[in-house]
Amino acid sequence: MSPLPHAQLSLHELKRRRPRERLVQITLLLLVLLTCYAWTCGDIHLDDLDLARRTENLERFVQEDLAPYSLRDQEHSWTDVAAWAWTIAVTRGFEGALQTLAMATVAITLSAMVAFLLLWCAARTSATARPYGDGRGRETFAWRVVRLSTTALFVYLRAIPEYIWAFLLVAMLGPSAWPLILALAIHNSGILGRLGAETVENLPPRPLTALRTLGATRTHIALFAATPGFLSRFLLYVFYRYETCVREATVLGMLGIASLGYWIEDVRTKRYYDEMVLLVAMGALLVLCVDLLSAWVRRRLRQAS
Amino acid sequence: MKRWLERRNWPLGTRGATVLALLCLGALCAWWLQLSPSGLIPREGGVKLAGQFFARALTPAWDYETPPPEGTPPLVMKALEGARRTVVFAAAGMSLALVFGLLLGFLGSSAWWPQRMRTSGVGPFVWTVARTIMVGMRSVHELLWAVLFLAAFGLNSFTAVVAIALPYGGTLAKIFSEMIDEAPRDSAGALRQLGATGTQTFLLGLLPRALPDMWAYAFYRFECAIRSSAVLGFFGFETLGYAIKQSFENLQYGEVWLYLWTLFGLVVLVELWAASARRRFVA
Repeated sequence: MSPLPHAQLSLHELKRRRPRERLVQITLLLLVLLTCYAWTCGDIHLDDLDLARRTENLERFVQEDLAPYSLRDQEHSWTDVAAWAWTIAVTRGFEGALQTLAMATVAITLSAMVAFLLLWCAARTSATARPYGDGRGRETFAWRVVRLSTTALFVYLRAIPEYIWAFLLVAMLGPSAWPLILALAIHNSGILGRLGAETVENLPPRPLTALRTLGATRTHIALFAATPGFLSRFLLYVFYRYETCVREATVLGMLGIASLGYWIEDVRTKRYYDEMVLLVAMGALLVLCVDLLSAWVRRRLRQAS
Repeated sequence: MKRWLERRNWPLGTRGATVLALLCLGALCAWWLQLSPSGLIPREGGVKLAGQFFARALTPAWDYETPPPEGTPPLVMKALEGARRTVVFAAAGMSLALVFGLLLGFLGSSAWWPQRMRTSGVGPFVWTVARTIMVGMRSVHELLWAVLFLAAFGLNSFTAVVAIALPYGGTLAKIFSEMIDEAPRDSAGALRQLGATGTQTFLLGLLPRALPDMWAYAFYRFECAIRSSAVLGFFGFETLGYAIKQSFENLQYGEVWLYLWTLFGLVVLVELWAASARRRFVA
């Protein structure tokens, strides 16, 4: 073969020989078909797009509902509006935002701990009869059961959305902070567990195998070789999920738990849309701040590793 | 303060400090929220409810628990219909989000701007605007968008689609612009040297390098969109969440579990599909 086997081929020939994957092609085709189906099957009523019918509703919303209630029938300047916004922020907004942040923090700490404890049972390299070995040797039935059931548990935990977990838990535990925290923790430990297990599997195997042949036990390797190796990456994932946790914690309050969402739902049922929009904006601001914080921590972690 | 934040060697090292800070913050917040383990024990009536509910986990109902009105489709069909609607809303929302994401993602990435626009200030202006819009779309949760649109437009199918499309579009745009900016520049550089124009370089050199990752990420978001679409049911759209809420409030736990397992099956199916396609596409 010449050093550049494709150099003499015509463009047409090159195009014909490009690597193609049947599954990818079928997937793309199916997704396009699915999209066409979704828009045409009749569940999405295209005449809803006819804004003329909605204009009245929208006009009322923008012109009447959005003006601050206490200032609605009088001349008002921007300072009046700012004073009104400040009152709402002080009476409900800040408290709600702090609660949201606190619950998200507890939830992410819990789920990181649970995921850290469980992921060793799900990683293919550690959950076998010969951990961190060279991959040879027979697998025992017991270890296979442990690994598969942990993996299945992770899948189940993350497949059900936080909102549904919270909805179910509120009915059982009552409207304390626990249902919200547990719902977030359940979903996120499923995600962090899977990502963590994958990271452990992808660790460079040789140092771990060397330790094993030197007689280190499973726990020794996990704590003193694997953990330092995968911790940076795991923490990156934890902070990625922390952003999502804060977003979700805001919303889960709508089920009657005292986060920002509680106050949003409160004014929504009273149809005080002026206050609702303000509180939603506060929630967005909170998410933005946490995004920045988490981006900063992740940059530091990346620099350190 | 700034010097301390930026310094390289923290006591314990960055990772140790992060772990410790996270644990301390968690404990502090738990204390502030006055969490106690006793809150984990279901209140009166809750114990019974929890028992009844979890008892049905492995024996979901296959037929209505109370006789439905004449002419109702069988329960299994109702669950499948809910699943179909969930997918329909997710796919429609996602296709719209993809449009937003591609548009804003291109505008928000700096890699494809010709040199002279980059230096003249047009580029920076456009990508700052694009990134601000992205942040705005992304910072509001899809359920909050839904609540806002419900107030502004009333309950209609587009509310659900747009509520999914806006935050997902913002997220896609952010990730897409990062992927385009971070894609390997080797083939783009080669094309440049051969005298290709800026557009050609971008379309044939840069975009094909970023496309597999963008594709894989978009597919992953589709899976998330299915979950979001299911949850939108709690706000009156007829997806799986609607059925779950109804059955739970009527204390028909067997039906709830059937819906939960349907949702689980749907998500796992899409996840397996996405995983196998991603492996082949990115490799």
